[in-house]
Order: sequence, then structure tokens, then C-alpha cells
Amino acid sequence: MSTQTSPLTSIRRTLSSVDMRAVAPFIALIVLIIAGAMVNPRFVGLDNLANVATRCAFIATIAVGATFVISSGDLDLSVGSMVAFVASVMILFMNTQVFASPLMMVLTAVLLAMALGALCGLFNGVLTTKGQLEPFIVTLGTMGIFRGLTTWLSQGGAITLQAQEQQALYREVYFGRFFGVPWPILITLAVALLGSLLMYRTRFGRHVVAVGSNREVARHSGINVSRVRLYAFMIQGLTVAVAVILYVPRLGSTSSTTGTMWELQAITAVVIGGTALKGGSGRVWGSIAGAFILELVGNIMLLSNFISEYLLLAIQGTIIILAMLVQRSLTRRA
Amino acid sequence: MRKTIFGALLASASFVSTAFAADLTIGVSIPAADHGWTSGVVFHANRIAEEVMGSYDDVEVIVKTSPDPASQANALQDLEIQGIDALVILPTDPDALVNAIMEVKSKGTFVALVDRAPSNNDDSVRDLYVAGNNYGLGEAAGEYIAENNPDAKVVVIRGMPIPIDQERQDGFDAGIEGSNVEVLDRQFGNWNRDDAFRVMQDYLTKFDDIDVVWCQDDDMAVGVLQAIEQSQRDDIQYVIGGAGSKDMIKMVMDGDPMMPVDVLYPPAMVGTAIEMTVAGLMGQLPVAGVYTIDATLVTPENAEEYYFPDSPF
Amino acid sequence: MSAIGDQGPVPILAARGVSKSFGEVPVLFSVDLEILPGEVHALMGENGAGKSTLVKILSGFEQPTAGQILLDGNAVNLPGNGHSERLGIALIHQELNLAEHLTVTESLFLGREITKFGFLDRPAMRKVARDALDELGTDIHVDALISDLSLADKQMVEIAKAISRNARVVFMDEPTAVLSEGETDRLFAQVRRLRAEGTSFVFVSHKLGEVMALSDRVTVLRDGQWIKTDLTRNLTADRIAQLMVGRELSDLYPVKHEPDVDAEEVLTVENLSTGFVKDASFTLQRGEILGFSGLIGSGRTELMEAIAGLRKYHSGSVTVNGTPLPSANMAATREAGVAYMTKDRKGRGLLVGERIRPNLTLQTLDLHERWGMISGTSEAKALKRANRRFDIRVRDPRVMVSQMSGGNQQKLLLAKIMELAPGILIVDEPTRGIDVGTKQQIYQFLSVLAREGHAVIVVSSEMPEIIGLSTRVAVMREGRIMGMLTGDGIQENNIMRLASGLRVAA
Repeated sequence: MSTQTSPLTSIRRTLSSVDMRAVAPFIALIVLIIAGAMVNPRFVGLDNLANVATRCAFIATIAVGATFVISSGDLDLSVGSMVAFVASVMILFMNTQVFASPLMMVLTAVLLAMALGALCGLFNGVLTTKGQLEPFIVTLGTMGIFRGLTTWLSQGGAITLQAQEQQALYREVYFGRFFGVPWPILITLAVALLGSLLMYRTRFGRHVVAVGSNREVARHSGINVSRVRLYAFMIQGLTVAVAVILYVPRLGSTSSTTGTMWELQAITAVVIGGTALKGGSGRVWGSIAGAFILELVGNIMLLSNFISEYLLLAIQGTIIILAMLVQRSLTRRA
Repeated sequence: MRKTIFGALLASASFVSTAFAADLTIGVSIPAADHGWTSGVVFHANRIAEEVMGSYDDVEVIVKTSPDPASQANALQDLEIQGIDALVILPTDPDALVNAIMEVKSKGTFVALVDRAPSNNDDSVRDLYVAGNNYGLGEAAGEYIAENNPDAKVVVIRGMPIPIDQERQDGFDAGIEGSNVEVLDRQFGNWNRDDAFRVMQDYLTKFDDIDVVWCQDDDMAVGVLQAIEQSQRDDIQYVIGGAGSKDMIKMVMDGDPMMPVDVLYPPAMVGTAIEMTVAGLMGQLPVAGVYTIDATLVTPENAEEYYFPDSPF
Repeated sequence: MSAIGDQGPVPILAARGVSKSFGEVPVLFSVDLEILPGEVHALMGENGAGKSTLVKILSGFEQPTAGQILLDGNAVNLPGNGHSERLGIALIHQELNLAEHLTVTESLFLGREITKFGFLDRPAMRKVARDALDELGTDIHVDALISDLSLADKQMVEIAKAISRNARVVFMDEPTAVLSEGETDRLFAQVRRLRAEGTSFVFVSHKLGEVMALSDRVTVLRDGQWIKTDLTRNLTADRIAQLMVGRELSDLYPVKHEPDVDAEEVLTVENLSTGFVKDASFTLQRGEILGFSGLIGSGRTELMEAIAGLRKYHSGSVTVNGTPLPSANMAATREAGVAYMTKDRKGRGLLVGERIRPNLTLQTLDLHERWGMISGTSEAKALKRANRRFDIRVRDPRVMVSQMSGGNQQKLLLAKIMELAPGILIVDEPTRGIDVGTKQQIYQFLSVLAREGHAVIVVSSEMPEIIGLSTRVAVMREGRIMGMLTGDGIQENNIMRLASGLRVAA
């Protein structure tokens, strides 16, 4: 049985050398964009795509953090509540106007949000690793805690940014553009770039994957498993903070319903992106694609003229499952 | 017939109050503040309770909040043990709590039901029903548009697929009937400002020409206004919300062209129910049956009456 | 083709010209194999020779790319996923295939539960299970959870399962790799008894001694090709080894080198106690290979993990080159130049879902960092070096570790540990489940390492390996070091007597 290489087999070989799992979400994305263009030509307008990309910035940023947590074999259900909590504290701080300069206020508030996000992540991480509790239970608990604190801070109502100068200044972060590209898109890409460098090019990233795929192997390789998991939770907290920093300028206001179900959207984005829920493989760019896919589905539904508004959720669910099936079959063939 | 019995009850109540000089206790059971509107309910319940206790020495009002039907049922039992003469209740879920309410009523306690009614909403459940007017809320908005812009192209943002929302839609359709107002699209915004922002952005992509947005809720109006502002489109003439949040009332008061009117569905209705109950028990006027709060159209002229800057909502 | 011709009994199961490719990679080339009723047929070959693939094809877990399978002389397509059991063909996997959370009885009856009025008839099932286990001469409790059993007991349950399903042909892939000698003897007694009743066995093993003792016929594969089938009595162990490797095997073990008498003491362990290990004391010299022998579960691994910083110790001390090592601190052990290679290659040693490179450098990523980023070129250099030094043979460097043969995995694991450049190397069962050729390479490597002035500890349950490599042998039993054998004292019976507690060394 000789192994002569015909052109066909060499093509197949190049194809099989491409990791389908990594490429699949982007193929799904392209398919979806083509489908959207057929539903409504306005869909492929730059403005619409920019709108959708900007809107998915929150989930995409959070999903980058979730990629780390899930790759290391954990789960964080508290991110949605964390968004509400960090955002509320941030706005309450901005309303104090302790500094005269609005710019100073906004910058300090941004730093405060980052610190608070990291702290929330640390809290989750310490309970999971030092407390040796299931991450599912811990973050289910903190999900309630963050949500409850938010409701308490707002007394059930809304917390609204009052200072007009701060609002005017800060508004640019969501609505402004840099060389024609909306800031949230740039910031999301920057977060993803940092995330992928961290995941693929540093010791920490390798350790995350090792811890997620087999904790015993990681331990035997001299990796401090608890510390890696803790840092992953903190990265999640930091990405939540970035999402908050993008979210607050949009409406300048939060309420106790802010960020509800975002944790599920973030996790779905990560899984669509090709990261295994059981840990051990991190696909940072895939998660970004996943978040974009989620937002696109809703957008296409709304732009279509033939889908009943009552069926939206059902069709959204169907498309997500279809995307996963396509991805699975591509992976199997490779 | 019922009124006679009620009158007798009233007489005995006022007799008791004059005899012992203090003791009229009113229990108020309402949902915990879990979103804007309910936080308004909590605010107004407490506000009116203090007012009532300030003006009558012999009346005590106990306000209890509960996050879900199960804990509200427990709260009802606690109130009963404290010996209340009247119950004002805004149930978290009316059908789940109907038996607990009937239990209270069977003891002879006066029951005033607010806003949310069970399917068998008759006098076996309550003496007084104070309701917001969902149909009217839609109708007032519809009529306003039909009158001011009879040829308007309107996009609608709905709440969630539940009966209240449907009543509002029906009212709106009745309000615009006979005019040339055209509804371009209806989508759900889940009474959530982020979702409303998203839906409005997509509407702006989908339609080149929109005259009016009816989003029937002030929270959603926040997201809608931001989406319009970002798009820098000037075809949209105004947005109509609903409920009467302080921020939106303020905009109406200030004469903001994007928010010329608002339609009330006031959380203050719980206060109305407390006041009516007190008045009834004091014998000042006979109180029973169904009392529907008007879906008042708030205009720059009357906005001040409905502006509560201290309310969280 | 085969030694026994077409006359004679009809084979129960036969492969005719079976070939198999995985994608573009051919692994079997037109192989023939006949399994006669009531024979024990040994399937031999180096790792990667295609034994496991052939076994999987004959038991229906893989479909051949070309060729035929004959059952009782008739061509068949074997149903996949273990459904061949119904045809009387059972496979006992190398990685035991039991659900950990089931009891022994539930495992035995999985998929063919006895029921009464539609409900499980537990008493009946327990009784049948008990009988099956009694027949094998094992006292495993029928209600024990699989997860609580030792590997040896799990193996017994697998065998009981095959027997209780009236298998006509039982395939066993390395059945004795995890068994003690006593357990191996019991297993073989059962195999012989069942053979007398007409059951056929095909077993894959690397242990030549067992093959000579048990099998009736031997088939040797090499690089996916059929090499020879012959009666065992016509062959010798050396001859089989030669056929497997395809070249003359010189002596398996390299020449021993005693360390210099005044060689410095690099490791001193004094009165070390963990939960199970008690009062362990020994020393290790530069240039020495120290063997650790004992029965499975005698505490050798626990002791080594404590020395390597993977496990806490309560009392005693570990001193390396005069510096005491703190308990459970791997960073300090690494700093001191101590490295431990686990015996659990897949569970603790390698990330089987990853490629070679990230595995090789996982423990030493700090050496490949430039400004906080991992340098791909530096890693590639390390991989090249390791390939040269350890002869890791893969067709494609991008394969996942799980797709590599056991021998290559073991070499990769050794390479990963050696990336630490340790002065003191502790290897735990360094040749478990790998072929003769690779074994020899690993022995050679350890020997060279010692001669270069490193110190090596070899933990092994294979007696010949311990005797063939070590200049001193420590024997453990129930958490204690029972004695230290040196020079001519290193003999099988001395080790056995210490290990079984019959003798306490002076």
C-alpha cells in the first residue's frame, strides 16, 4: 500500500491540518451573514453591522474572561449580576463628584470599576479554591449577592448618572468613533488581543489549559493549580469591569435588571466559539465570534419581515443548536 | 345587599374606634422592590402610610414587602396574627395568593386589592379593587397620536407576552382606529432598557422613515431615546412611554419635544387604595366595588402634580 | 500461511488479509490470524506494531479497511460498540472499561439485567455474580463500588464479566500489566481451566515469560505486518523478542556500574513519615541507580511523591546536597534538582488531549520565556533536542498524545521530566506497558545518566528490571522500608521474602 500523494489528497491533507474546531465558529458567522443579507439587504449595511458589533461588545468582552474560567475547568454564573453591581457602584461614585474636574471623575471611576471587578473575581476565586467549593454553587451564591446588593443600592429603582458634564464626556466611550470605528469595537478587539496573547503566548495561558484538561497532570508538573484558577476568576472580573466601562456611558443608568441572563449569553458565546465546557481548550477569538453570532441572530430576526415576534426565542434557540451541530460535524470530519 | 352588610361592618368598626380611641390597624402587603415600578409602589405605600398615621392618631398602618408569592402568603399570616381590620394587598402573583386572601377576608377583614387581579376577581375575594387601566394606557397614547399626527408611521415596542401587555396593545389599536396611523412593526423589549435600545437600533436600520415610537413604558423609553440620539436621525418626532417615572415626567414638565406627553400607570395607586380604605373604615364614605385609576395623560400643564423627585422611580 | 494449515479444526474466528488505515496512515497490512477452539493465542509485537488495532477489528470495535473476518468459517461483519459480545466475542480493554460508580454486581449485569415482574432481581444477580467471582478465586464483594477496587480487582471483574457472558473468544489486552504475581497466577489458572472447557483466548502482552508459560501459539506482528505464527514450544523467548524487534537483541540490560566508594551523598531521607509511609530512611549516592521494590500498594509511590514535593510529610527530613527540603513544595524540589516521573502516564503525566510540544515544555515554560512571552523557536529547539535524545517516533509532530503508542508516550514523559535537567531522577514504573525495544532504550538511558554522575531511583514492580538495573535495592512493605540489598544479595528470592514480610534484613 503505497502512499502516493495525488493533488486531491494533498488538498485534503492541508484541510485536515487546519483545526476545524477553531475555524468552525467563523464559518458559522459567514453563513449567518450571508443568510442575513438574503433576509434584508440593509443587514449588510456598514451601519447595521457596526451597531450589532458595538452592541455585542459587552457580552464579547465578558466572554473573553469566561474563556479563561471555562478553560481552567471552572464556571462563573455571577457575571451578569457583577455587571449590575460594579456599574451601580461606579455611577454612585460618579454622582458624588468628589473631584471638580469631570475628566478626573471619569478616570477615577474607571479605575474604581477595574479594581472592584478584580475584587469580585477574587472573591469568587478564593471561595472556589481555598473554600474548595463547587464553582457552580459559589457563583450561584455570588450571583444572588451581587444582584441583591445592586437592588439594595438602587432601592429597587434606577441609578442614573446625574452630572451632565461627566455624561457628555463619558458618552463618547460608547458612541464615539476612532477613524470611523466605534470605540466599543476597538476596545473589545484590544481585550481579545490581550486575551489571546495571554492564552496562547504566556506561561499562564498554558497553565490554564493544563489545569482545565487535567488537574493531576498540572499538579505533577509543578503548577500551582489553585493560583491559576484564582487568576482566571480575577481575569473574568476584570473583563466584567471593562464591559461595565463600556456599558455605563450608553444609558448612563443601571437598574436591578441590568445584566440579567448575561452570564448565560457569555457562556453560550464561549461554547459556540469552540471552547469545551469541561475545560482544557481556550478559544479566545472563537468566543468573540460566538458573541457576535448571538447578537446577529436577534438582529436578523428583527430585520426580517416574516418572523412572528412571538417565535423569536424559539428560532434563536434553534439557530444556536444548528450552529453547534455544524461545528460538531466539522470537528468530527477533521 | 352587599353594601348593607358592608355598611353594618363599617358601623361596627367605627363604633370600636370611638370606644377605644386608638385601634384601627391596616395591613399593607406589597411586592419587594425588584424593578422600577415596584420600587415606586414601595415608596408610595410608605409615603401614604406615614401621612395617614400623621393625620389620625388612632390608625396604625403596617407595610410589609415580600419578594415572591410564598413569602407573601407568610406575610399575610403574620399580619392576621397582629389583628388587622383591613388589608391592602398588591399580590406578587394574584392567582397563587387568591386562597390566602380569601382566608383573610373570611375572618371579616376588609380587603382592598390593588392592580393585579385573580381570574375570579369578585366580592368573594375582595371588597375593593383599585386597578390601573392597561387598556386605557394604550388607548390614551393611541388617541394622542391619532389626534396630533393622523398620518404617522409608528413603531411599537411591546413588553413581555403576558395579558397586561395584550390589553395595552388592544387599547392602542382602538385609540388609532379611524386614523391613517400606520404601525410598522411590533417587537418585544421585555420592559428592559437595554433590550429596548437594541430593538430601537434595529428599527432604525429597518425603516427609513419613522414618525413616532410608542414604547408604553418609561424604562424602555430611556433606551429608545439613546438609540435615536446615537443615530442622529431627525425623522422621529417623539416617543410616548408610560407609567410615570420621575425622569420622564420631568422631561414632559420641561417641555422636551421628544417626550411631549406621558401616560400614567402610577405606582401611587397603592397609596390611593390605602387612603380609600382608611376613609371607608372611618365611615367618611362608602367604599366598595371596582375603582379604576385613570390612565391620565400627563402634559406639560399638569406634569407637576405627578412629579415625585424623592421617589426611586 | 500459518503454521497450522487448513486441515485441523475450523477456526472460531479468523482474519483474512485484513488491512486498516486511519485516514492517510496505514497501520495494518493484509494480516492473517486464526483463532482455534480452546487455544491460548499470544499476539506479540512492539508498541505500534498493530496488535491493539487487530484486536479491535476482531472484536468489532473497528472495521477493517480491506480483508475479511470469518466467524466459524463464514464471512461476517462484526457489529460495533461491543455488540459482538452476543456472538461470543469479548474484549477486555487495556484501559478497563467499567463505570466507576456502579457496584460489582451492576457492572457484571450491565445491559442484561435479570428482572422479575419488570423489576431488577437483585438477589438473583448477586448470587450469579458471587458464583462467577468465586470461580475466579477472588473474594471481591459483590456490592463493592468499582471506584473502590484496586486495578487488579477491576481486572478480575472484567474477566468475570466476560466469562459470565459465555464468551467463546476472549481478547485480553495486557491483562497482567497491573496484576501482582499472585493475581497473575490465579488469572492464568482460570484461563487454563476455561481453555480446557473450549474457550479461546487471545492475549497481548509484553511479558515474554508469561507468554512462554501460558500460550499454545504465538503470532508476531511488526510495523503492521504479519511476521510469523508458530507453536509456542517451537520458539524461545529470545527468538520471539528477535522476531518482534527484527534485529538481534543484545542483552536487555546495560552493564552495571557501581558508584565510586567515596561518591558524595546527594540525597538523604531520614525517618520520613506520611500518612501511610512510616520512618523511611535511606541515602542516595552520585552515580548510583537505587531500585525500590515491593508489592503493589507497599507505599513506594507515596514515599517518592513526598520526596518530590507532591505530598506532605509529617515528620522526618529530606536533605539534598546538604540543604533540607521543605514539605510539599515543588518549586523547592525543582530548585534542588529533584525530578519525579509518575507511573500514571495518562492520568498524571501527560495531557493526552494536547500535542507533543506543549506537553514537553509544560513543566519548564519559564525557560522558554522572552519578555513574558513564550518563544516558539525556543520550544521548537527543545522539541528537536528531545526527539533526538529520546527517539520519539511519530508520523506527524502535530498528533495528539492520546494517538501515540504507549512507548512513545513514555519516552515523551521521560523527555518532559528531563527538561528539568535534574541531578536526582526518580522514575516510577518507567516501562509499564511498553515494548521490549523501548524498554531497552529507557534502560540504556538511565544507565548513561548514572554514569554521567546523576543519581537515579527506579521504582518498579517488575523484578527483572529492578535486578537488572540497580546497584542497591530497597524493599518496601506496608509503608516501611524492610531492607536494603546490595551486590550479590540482589536476588529474586531475597526481594520476595522482604516484600512479603518473611524476612527482615539486618
